[in-house]
Amino acid sequence: MHKMNMYNRDNRLRVTEIQRFCMHDGPGIRTTVFLKGCPLRCAWCHNPETQKATAELLFEERRCIGCGACREACAYGVHGGIDRHEIDRQKCRACGACADVCPTHALTLCGKEMSLEEILAEIERDRAFYGENGGVTLSGGEPFLQGRAAIELLRLCRQRGVHTAVETCGYFDEQLLADAVSVTDLFLWDVKDTDGERHRRYTGVSNERILQNLSRADAFGAKIRLRCILVAGVNTDAEHYRRIASLANSLSHLDGVDLIPYHAYGGSKATLLGLADNGRRDWIPTEEQIAEAREMIGR
Amino acid sequence: MEFYAVNGKKRPIRLCDATRRFAYESLNRKYGLDTLEHRAVDLDGVEGYESMTMLERYDVAIETIVREARIRICENEKLSGAATFGAAIRHGVPARYQGQTICMSISHLTVDFETVLKKGIHHIRKNAEQSLEAHRGTDREPFLKSCLKCLDAFDVWHGRYLDALRDRPEYRANYENLKNVPHKPATNFYEAVQSLWFTFAFLRLCGNWPGIGRIDYLLGDYLKKDLADGRLTLDEAREILAHFFIKGCEWINGKYIGSGDAQHYQNILLCGVDEDGNEVTNEVTYLVLDILEELGISDFPTSVRVNRNTDETLLRRVAEVMRYGGGVLAVYNEELVIDALLRDGYELREARKFANDGCWEVQIPGKTFFTYYPFDSLRLLQQKTLRAYDGTVDFADFESLYRNYIAEIRGEVERIFQSQQKYFEKIGDSPKDWKWVEQIPCTVVSLFEEGCIEKGASYQEGGPVYNLKSPHIGGLADTVNSLYAVKKLVYEEKKLSLRELCEILKKDWEGEEQLRQSVLNRYSYYGNDNDEIDAIAARLLSDFADICVSFNDKCGYRFPAGVSTFGRQIEWAPHRGATPYGRRAGEVLAANCSPTPGTDTNGATAIIRSYCKADLTKLASGAALDIRLLPSSVEGEDGLQALVGLMRGFVLLGGFFMQPDVADAAVLREAQERPEDYRTLSVRVSGWNARFVTLNKEWQDMVIAQNEHV
Repeated sequence: MHKMNMYNRDNRLRVTEIQRFCMHDGPGIRTTVFLKGCPLRCAWCHNPETQKATAELLFEERRCIGCGACREACAYGVHGGIDRHEIDRQKCRACGACADVCPTHALTLCGKEMSLEEILAEIERDRAFYGENGGVTLSGGEPFLQGRAAIELLRLCRQRGVHTAVETCGYFDEQLLADAVSVTDLFLWDVKDTDGERHRRYTGVSNERILQNLSRADAFGAKIRLRCILVAGVNTDAEHYRRIASLANSLSHLDGVDLIPYHAYGGSKATLLGLADNGRRDWIPTEEQIAEAREMIGR
Repeated sequence: MEFYAVNGKKRPIRLCDATRRFAYESLNRKYGLDTLEHRAVDLDGVEGYESMTMLERYDVAIETIVREARIRICENEKLSGAATFGAAIRHGVPARYQGQTICMSISHLTVDFETVLKKGIHHIRKNAEQSLEAHRGTDREPFLKSCLKCLDAFDVWHGRYLDALRDRPEYRANYENLKNVPHKPATNFYEAVQSLWFTFAFLRLCGNWPGIGRIDYLLGDYLKKDLADGRLTLDEAREILAHFFIKGCEWINGKYIGSGDAQHYQNILLCGVDEDGNEVTNEVTYLVLDILEELGISDFPTSVRVNRNTDETLLRRVAEVMRYGGGVLAVYNEELVIDALLRDGYELREARKFANDGCWEVQIPGKTFFTYYPFDSLRLLQQKTLRAYDGTVDFADFESLYRNYIAEIRGEVERIFQSQQKYFEKIGDSPKDWKWVEQIPCTVVSLFEEGCIEKGASYQEGGPVYNLKSPHIGGLADTVNSLYAVKKLVYEEKKLSLRELCEILKKDWEGEEQLRQSVLNRYSYYGNDNDEIDAIAARLLSDFADICVSFNDKCGYRFPAGVSTFGRQIEWAPHRGATPYGRRAGEVLAANCSPTPGTDTNGATAIIRSYCKADLTKLASGAALDIRLLPSSVEGEDGLQALVGLMRGFVLLGGFFMQPDVADAAVLREAQERPEDYRTLSVRVSGWNARFVTLNKEWQDMVIAQNEHV
């Protein structure tokens, strides 16, 4: 099992990206803070750069102009290759020296540590656009993997009158629950699969804790939107839909159910980490499958 | 009969089949092509033409135009009157002498339709007669006589339509409706729309391109009364109003490729407060939105005046219409515009009346002469301050460089001011004793501009109440990015000297790809909400505005500052050298107040924030921001809320004018390949919309580039 709450310092978070003008991470215009580290290893993961809890070097080959600035800057001999830029990731300490000098941002360091004040300042920038609906969304990765600091950030946002949402996989330390619920206006709660065995096979962990946390969060009064990914041939079966429907019915503060059809473009992000493209076209559900799911789930 | 939608969604249907067919045919060039067949009247046979004054020639032209214009009555049309001369589509008075168009016509103004609707043409004639009496024996007499001749011409043309309709039972309603207006005040909604259309059509028949102005303000009370009296239903009113919009498409022909065929400056404004401060929004507002939504007509570029109190229902409705694309709706921040006008010296009640000039520069409709003088601020920086990189200039610090540049801006504004002096004669000792010299005759528009008849002076002779000549700074983002890159590279990080940088720029970055990439990518430029660079933009705009204001009323007109490129970034490109922020010589760069394509990476909210950091109340002529959005990003309830949020934020932060366009670069590229399939796809170009396929390749590429990076 992953070590929960791996950050002792409560006032810093490891962030992969802060994205402004997000429209599909909760209501209104939102600033989404992507946090690094996730206990799940979903086969279809769209943000593989957020899985590891520590900083990582990303390399976007099409931006590289072969200038060699990285080679000069690196103390560990990570960057090599003659015709083609090759990266020896075993040697990389993720110090970011190469990213600092790369003229085209072909190399970037993903997972910068930021203080809560720095993050808040970014969130504040778009306050004029949030209105009554919009606000901040913590996403990732699993935001609550960085437990206390994530909760503290949400608390500070709340205090400033910014609506808070958290996109969670639900797999986190249950001791955080009461506090998490008290500072989160809306949970976007992933239910990847209701079949325990399949969940383990495709995400690497059991869904037991996720479902348990979900029902506890509901008991604490959390407003929850279920987000269910549809992966063709994996979880596009009637039994799963029925269980989602009954799960939805069991929640007393349900905000709705979003079906998220799998798409293949997350795959290319894996290549930034030097991994094979994990995108699979056969996982893309058909219009009929989506319609059937929508019909059966009935929301 | 499908009306194209960028987002692929079906547009709702509220209008009857006949009206929809009329719209479909108009948009598909039926009347525009017909108009091209009769370009202009011929004045070759006019006796003594050579010995006439310009004004007399103009009068003869107008008399001939109304006599010879083809009368067009379209099947099922509810409104009568059509501007049927092709030369008008090219911005000329449609009259020729020995093969040459006799003179250009007038645009960039919104005339006084309110007087026509409420008091009628008779009232204008009475004024002209009185003014002629008052000015008998003065040099104002020829102009006032010309006014009466043009009013006679109006009557002739009106009479011909009545004659044509009288004996056709199927057009009985048209005939009855046209009988009283525009000569008498309109008494109901149908008459009011006819009065507005006929007057507009007359102006256009004579070649002019006026804006419409605040259509809901003009027509709202008529509709309210009819609805209350049970004379008309909303559905009937929508049909009538739809015909106004459809008839406004009668010049679409797809023939003139260039900056687009849909730009005849027939702008419309919706919503906002009246002169007493009461909100205008009414049933007509929503009918206009219904019509734009259903038919996708982009030929009346429509703007909405939004303020802090704007109703959520209205904003959502606006957002819904925006999502179909075509750039049909733009937004003014009403409070800021009014503040800008107050600051420029207008009375509050006047400022509240603002509309635009047929593009987005603001003016008080029916009272304003307007013209603008654009210049390329980037070229100025390169050619003057950096002497086009000849290595002869150096500055001790950034501040000295900036001050030198501002001095050059002052020089440019001064040159613009001096260039106008030829249009004035000095008649006294005081600095204000100037007399305007008429440039081209323009009696027809002068009839509908308050002040002209009273003073006996035409639109171009200082007749209107307000006279504006506005210097417009262009290339804002490119200049600011350049200044910022120099500041960083040379004065802060001291990576190289100004001379070294100039040498590199002179060679167009050749052999310096690493540095070029670094400069291009590692600094955060205008449009990314970077306070440091945005402060330079704010300072530059403020300094520029102060310079303009210092020329105010030195010569019988105001000199309000504005920001624009419209499409000039295309024609400016070949004259621009490499930029210090990494662009090569000759590239097509930023539009209006928008960031340089490719340099903004933080999304629409960051762009708006950057733009709003300047004190835009100093730019009384206007400062437009183009925002490009992908159809997918504004889909669904989330997308609707996002658009509403963008408009709210834009108002809260103090924007001036925002033109959001929902378009997809991939679709535009397809349209470039297969124009025949995308005949009615419209895009927002600048203050106007254009059917994409009627833009030439350069313009198309520019629009695609602007959409590529969203």
